[in-house]
Amino acid sequence: MSSPSTRPHTVVVAGFGSEFRRDDGVGLVVAGRVADTMPDTFDVGPVVDPLDLLGRWDGADLAVVVDAVRSGADPGTVRLVELAGPPSAGDGDGAVGGHPGGATSSHGIGLTGVLRLSRALERQPRRVVVVGVEGHDFGDGTGLSAPVAEAVPGAVALVARIILEARGCA
Amino acid sequence: MTHGGSGRRTVGVEGLSRVEGEGSLRIEIRDGSVTDVALSIFEPPRYFEAMLVGRRHTEAPDITARICGICPVAYQMSACAAMEDAGGVEVGPAIGDLRRLLYCGEWIQSHALHVTLLHAPDFLGCADAVELAERDRPSVERGLRLKQAGNLLMQTVGGRAVHPVNVRVGGFYRAPEPSVVAGLAETLRVAVDDALATVAWVSGFDFPDIEGAYRFVSLREPGRYPVGAGRVVSSDGLDVTPAGFAELVVEEQVARSTALHATLGGHDAYLTGPLARYSLNSASLPEVARQAAASAGLGATCTNPFRSIVVRSVEMVFACVEALRLIEAYEPPSPPSAAVPGVAGTGVGATEAPRGLLLHRYTLDGEGIIRHAQIVPPTSQNQATIESDLRRVAQDSLALDDQALTWRCEQAVRNHDPCISCAAHFLDVTVDR
Repeated sequence: MSSPSTRPHTVVVAGFGSEFRRDDGVGLVVAGRVADTMPDTFDVGPVVDPLDLLGRWDGADLAVVVDAVRSGADPGTVRLVELAGPPSAGDGDGAVGGHPGGATSSHGIGLTGVLRLSRALERQPRRVVVVGVEGHDFGDGTGLSAPVAEAVPGAVALVARIILEARGCA
Repeated sequence: MTHGGSGRRTVGVEGLSRVEGEGSLRIEIRDGSVTDVALSIFEPPRYFEAMLVGRRHTEAPDITARICGICPVAYQMSACAAMEDAGGVEVGPAIGDLRRLLYCGEWIQSHALHVTLLHAPDFLGCADAVELAERDRPSVERGLRLKQAGNLLMQTVGGRAVHPVNVRVGGFYRAPEPSVVAGLAETLRVAVDDALATVAWVSGFDFPDIEGAYRFVSLREPGRYPVGAGRVVSSDGLDVTPAGFAELVVEEQVARSTALHATLGGHDAYLTGPLARYSLNSASLPEVARQAAASAGLGATCTNPFRSIVVRSVEMVFACVEALRLIEAYEPPSPPSAAVPGVAGTGVGATEAPRGLLLHRYTLDGEGIIRHAQIVPPTSQNQATIESDLRRVAQDSLALDDQALTWRCEQAVRNHDPCISCAAHFLDVTVDR
């Protein structure tokens, strides 16, 4: 797989999660369908370790990260978060170091930690958008719960619209 | 955090960073002496051993790989070794070499991550890897290159970089094409140079002058540095098979921790991992790694836990050189796996995960169904020794102010790269003085 930096206008779509924890796999499903329908899109998933984005999203014009979220909203709710600025250490994703304040692992560096590191290394994508799909069932096993499966087409359409708008096609 | 009163000082880290998993550390100091050290692990227990019961013997590698995203190969290799032991099967040298190549990939990516992004910031006064990258971008770039080289090895041999899918009991589902493996050589040549540069980099750090009296335990393979096979040896003369070692290991529950504490015989703490492997096997390192170690000021053994970052870097040199050797000598195993029957009995497998010896023991019934599973990860085995280290480091560092003492204690934990997720099948620091 060639580096996105070798492409003229690059869009990276990264599905986060585990297909073996039911709704946690929704990011992989959405990213996969986007890549299937938009061949010019650079699919770098599945991403288990966000650190692996380094080298895969370097210098991309747009990076869309799709992941399951758990915020208390209704299952299947789709949210969009624009990661506009570098988060500061300890703001909830300090797994790169310092006191973690919400990080769940250290060997796994979180998304905002990787974005901070990318900026320090001058490899950051020009724009990073996170599309989150509210999950319901994060238990063991494969397959999405009904409300999350029903939300997939809408999430795919949202990601496609973001990409087309970024390319000036919409 | 620190709480203090007359003659009383408490140093606490409620959420230890840059270690894998969740845990806390509390150190009590009374009248200038460390009176209590408690490393608590509170990551939810993961019940993997119970989940394995009732599954087929062939399922153990894929199930146990899910215990850890950093060292899945170690879990797969120990599970395979145990099942092959139970079935009385020895895989051929070609399968053994391909396994060793895959394992080198895991050592390279795990050590590169810990040395560069998690541990080096401690020595350079950086809050984290981002600050380190801002101050010393080439070193971080080099570490990331090494990690990617390790990932590439795992992807090529194991099918993907996290939780490889090409491993099965008896060997592999498919042997990679020679041309594909040959294509790794240039990446590994660069990685050897990067690993050597990393050794030179970390050897220039300032190390506290603290030595530990360790009982080291590791594997030993005849004529080569131990990775995926061998007998279990110790610095005080133990020399047993993995099955014999399993008989000696006693795991106990400790109220503050969801990880079991392992000792030998129920009373002797011991240490596995890079310091142990190196101190028991440095003579078996390839020449280039031995020269790198000597240039970095290491002797034949190393008992300063803070120098573990140097040892880990030397092991990266080893893993890169060894991987290159295996790549250049690669011949696809044919067939890519050996048949391993599921027969009634007990099998034990021990291999060297990046952070230490990983022991699996399974009892199977006549249908090859797992009836009992025991997984003893490195961090469980090291936890008592890490607490001893902390007691000594804290006592030797009492002149430091609370902030510096807390930093030093966290660093002392990270010296051993604990993988709490593995051990909990959990870290916070509190110093009370």
